Amino acid sequence: MKRREFLVHLISELSSFLLQEQPRKMVISLHQEEDGIHLAVIDDRARSDGEIKAIEQALNTARRPELAGYYGQMAGHDLLGSARLNLVGWQIKHADVLRNPGGGVMLNLWIGGESFEYAKFSIDPEDEVKK
Amino acid sequence: MALRDRILAYFLAATILLFLLFSILANGLAAAIEGFWRLQSSPARLLSDFTALQGTSAALLNAAVVGILGWLFVRVNGIKLSGPTIAAIFTMIGFALFGKTPLNCIPIMAGVSLSALIVKKRPREYLLIGMFGTALGPLVSFVAFEMGLAPALALPVSLAVGLAVGIVLPPLAIAMLHLHQGYNLYNVGLTAGFIGLFAASLPNAGGKSIASFSSWGTAATPWLFLLIPVLSLIAIGMSFICCGKKSWNEFLSIVKLPGRLPSDFCELSGLGGALLNVGILGLAYSAYVAIVGAPFNGPVIGGLMTLMGFGFFGKHPKNVFPIFLGLLAAALFFCKPLNESWVILAFIFGTALAPIAGEFGPAIGILAGFLHLVLVERSGTWHGGMNLYNNGFAGGLTATLIVSVIEWYKTSTER
Repeated sequence: MKRREFLVHLISELSSFLLQEQPRKMVISLHQEEDGIHLAVIDDRARSDGEIKAIEQALNTARRPELAGYYGQMAGHDLLGSARLNLVGWQIKHADVLRNPGGGVMLNLWIGGESFEYAKFSIDPEDEVKK
Repeated sequence: MALRDRILAYFLAATILLFLLFSILANGLAAAIEGFWRLQSSPARLLSDFTALQGTSAALLNAAVVGILGWLFVRVNGIKLSGPTIAAIFTMIGFALFGKTPLNCIPIMAGVSLSALIVKKRPREYLLIGMFGTALGPLVSFVAFEMGLAPALALPVSLAVGLAVGIVLPPLAIAMLHLHQGYNLYNVGLTAGFIGLFAASLPNAGGKSIASFSSWGTAATPWLFLLIPVLSLIAIGMSFICCGKKSWNEFLSIVKLPGRLPSDFCELSGLGGALLNVGILGLAYSAYVAIVGAPFNGPVIGGLMTLMGFGFFGKHPKNVFPIFLGLLAAALFFCKPLNESWVILAFIFGTALAPIAGEFGPAIGILAGFLHLVLVERSGTWHGGMNLYNNGFAGGLTATLIVSVIEWYKTSTER
C-alpha cells in the first residue's frame, strides 16, 4: 500500500475512534520524515485511567503480520460498528497515549521501518503537551 | 516458547493425534494408507464425503495429514499459533474429510505465497488467505482428474491452475472483506465462491458440462460419532488445567464480544476462556446433530471442526444462537427436513454470520440466519461445487445485503 493510502486509513480509523465519543474538538498532526512518521491525534473528551490504558494496549498490541497484511486492510475503511484500534496497532512501530492538561487525550503514533528509532524523533510528545 | 503458545501447540497436537488414533482404530493402518492414496485422485467437489468414498480410516488419515501440512505452513512462515491460525488449521482438517487433500492444497498455498512475493510482501502476510484459500482445492482435483486431460498434462495443468488461483486470491479476499466489513467469518468462502463462478463457467463455455456429484455417508461409525465430543472434552479439560477457574470468567468476557473479524479470543479474553468456548460449542452442536438424527459423517464432522476452530476466532454461544434460531425458523417455515444434508450443513456453517448477531443484536441475527438458509440451497450449483465453503459464499452474500442496508440507514439517519 502506498504511504499516502496507508496514512489515510490510519487517520480514518483513529478519527473514527475518537469521534464515536463525540468530542467538541479534534486535532490531527502529521510529521513525515524519510524513514519515519509521527502522527498525533488530540481530542478534548475526558477519559478514565482504565480507558487510557485500554487505548494504549490496543495500539501497542504485539506484531501480527498474518493479521496486519489481511484484516489490517479494514482499518479506516470498514467503519460500520465500533472502531478497532488493534487494526492500527498491528501496523505501527509504537504508540503512547497522554492525558492533555485541558482534558482529552493525545494519541502519538510512530510509524517506520526496523531501523526507525521513534525515541529520537524530532517531535517530543511531552513537549507538545507542555506547549 | 510462552505458556500460551505451548498450550495451543499441545491442543493442536492432541487433535491431530486423536484423528490418527481413530484412523488406525477404525479400519487399521493398512486400510487407512491405501484409502489415503486413492483419495488423492478422487473427486473432491461438493459434496464428496471421503468417509463414504474411501472409508473412515482413510478420511481421518487424510485430515490428519492436511492438519500437519497447515501447521507446517504456519511454522515455515515463522508465525505463532493463535486464534486465527488454529481456526485455519481446524478448517483445513475439517474440510479434509470432504474435499481437501495435500495434493490439492499445496498449489493454492504456494500460489498465495507467490502472490505476496509479486507485490513485495512477505508470504506470512497472506498466510491466512493461503490456508483458508484451500477451499478451492476441488478445482485443482477437477482439472487433474475429472477433465479427461492426458496424464502427462493433467498434473502440470492442475498445478498451474492452483498457482493461478492462489495468486488472485489475496486481492479478491481483501476486496470481499470490504463488502461485508468483517461480518462474515468465512470471508475466503465468499472469495472462493466468486472465483468458482468463473471457474465453473469456463468448462461450460468450452462445451463441457460439470456433472453434479454427491456422496453423503450414512453409516454409523462409533469413531466418527465420538470424535468431536472427545475433542470438546479435551478442550474443556485443558482450559481448566491451564487456567483454572479464570477460564470461566474469560469465557464470560468472550460472550460479550461481537466476534467481528478479526477477533482473536485468545488475545482479547484469554486462552482458558477460548478453549472452554471451543469445547462448549463442540458439545452443543454435536448434541444438536444427534438430536435431529443427522449422520456423523465427513461433511458434518468437517463442519463441527470448523465451528470449533472459529470458537477461537469469532464464534461463541451468544452470537451463534440467534443465527441458529433464524435457520430453524426458515427450515420450519419452508418445511425442510432438519437432518437433510444441506440443511444440517447450513445449521453448522451458517454460524459464519455470528458477528451480525453479536454487533447488531439477536433480531438481526435471526433475520441473517433465515436469509442464509434461503440462499444456501441454491448457491452450491452456481460454482459447480468447486468452492468447498459454499456456506461462506452464501453467508458472505447475506452479510453484504444486511450490512449494506444497516450502513445506509445509519449513515442516513444518524446526526
